Amino acid sequence: MPVSPLHSFHERLGARFTDFGGWTMPVQYAGVIAEHMAVREGVGVFDVSHLGRFAVTGTGATEMVRSQLCNDVASITPGRAQYTMALNDRGGVVDDIIVWRFAGDDYWIMPNGTNFDTILGRFRDGAGDLTVEPVRDATALVAVQGPDSPEVVRRVLGSMPGRFRVETGTFEDHPFWAAGTGYTGERGAEIAVPVATAEALFGAIVDAGAEPCGLGARDTLRLEMGYPLWGQDLDEDTTPLEAGLEWVVSWDHEFVGRAALERQRREGLPKRLVAFETEDRKIPRHGHALRGGASHGTVTSGNFSPVLERGIGMGYLSPPYDGASVEILIRKDWVRADVVTPPFIAR
Amino acid sequence: MNIPADLRYAENHEWARLEPDGRVRMGISDYAQDALGDIVYVELPEVGRTAEAGEAFAEVESTKSVSDVYAPIAGTVVEVNAKLEENPELVNQDPYGEGWFAIFEPGEGATLDDLMDAAAYETFLEGQP
Repeated sequence: MPVSPLHSFHERLGARFTDFGGWTMPVQYAGVIAEHMAVREGVGVFDVSHLGRFAVTGTGATEMVRSQLCNDVASITPGRAQYTMALNDRGGVVDDIIVWRFAGDDYWIMPNGTNFDTILGRFRDGAGDLTVEPVRDATALVAVQGPDSPEVVRRVLGSMPGRFRVETGTFEDHPFWAAGTGYTGERGAEIAVPVATAEALFGAIVDAGAEPCGLGARDTLRLEMGYPLWGQDLDEDTTPLEAGLEWVVSWDHEFVGRAALERQRREGLPKRLVAFETEDRKIPRHGHALRGGASHGTVTSGNFSPVLERGIGMGYLSPPYDGASVEILIRKDWVRADVVTPPFIAR
Repeated sequence: MNIPADLRYAENHEWARLEPDGRVRMGISDYAQDALGDIVYVELPEVGRTAEAGEAFAEVESTKSVSDVYAPIAGTVVEVNAKLEENPELVNQDPYGEGWFAIFEPGEGATLDDLMDAAAYETFLEGQP
């Protein structure tokens, strides 16, 4: 099973590991809740080297990238990042993706780790004369997240990328590639470096005061923000419209899946995402049955919110449901939960 | 790993202590709380509930997963630790003290003799993944 270039470093920090999309990655160090709160109130650092990343370069790269993805990379200027998706012909989400646009025709495409080969293959098929080159194996990727992250990143890299801004520079005489992005709802940066400087970077970030955080806290942090996780909240049978993510769809260009989305807009949605919180510590979980009025469905993500100290979750109801509360089958009881608009926590 | 010598242990990682009044106080072991991670919810039975030894009678939920908790002895639940409702983290902080789960009135002929002592439990844990 692949491991991060930082694996032995994590072992020395006392991490516990989990299998995540075929990679052995740290799930926690001190504990999920302590790490979660470190990111909400201070600063934490995650190893996210399992995330996919490949470069697309060459004249015409912009046209190719924008035809593959439903958001429009031509709408951001060089030096910025964008959240977007690759769809199938039915409008279903093949993956949700972050694109870093370094220069006019110079991109990094960053799919989920599990979908790396699928998305890389799709871009290679459409590449023509463009260069499509994987960069995952040659690099490590770390995410520094939390209100105190700018101070830490400035101390380590000399500068902090703004929100959804992309920067490059040098760290320990090697290049770094960074963006003001993350998956926690906090200020932060994701930083890639060659494998040779991976431990030096992670160590410098920890020494500057960031708490090492595992994928357990990353999941509770993203859930508190209502961010979807591909494979749970998004999949090939779910469209961005059903997921409440129409803002990710840019209607000003042609892209794979567009016709299906237009049809869905005309004819209505067969299901729609709903987010909810329980009144106490009863915790909705992936796979629990969900109902609201005459609508039925399944919880796709759920956990305990360390900030709210109650259960939070999301799932799909079919047909779409507009009521103020839902019920979740937690073990043997139907538990009432209030419908809320994410993020779950005040921002 | 803390394994107090005066307790008995079940293979599902519950501990049990014979109290001076003949009742049995129980909870989950230090190993169990550590393996579960941050505990965020504990579901305890109603007082008066009876259980066979090894029967699931409570649940413990961490940020990772939900697990059953099994009765270490056959009997009737006569008291539960109501503090866990608001402060489930007590199970992580003090599994053998403030984080206890329930007190059983042992059923007819039920004893702790079938459970492991501390030395046997320590050996048992060495065989765990």
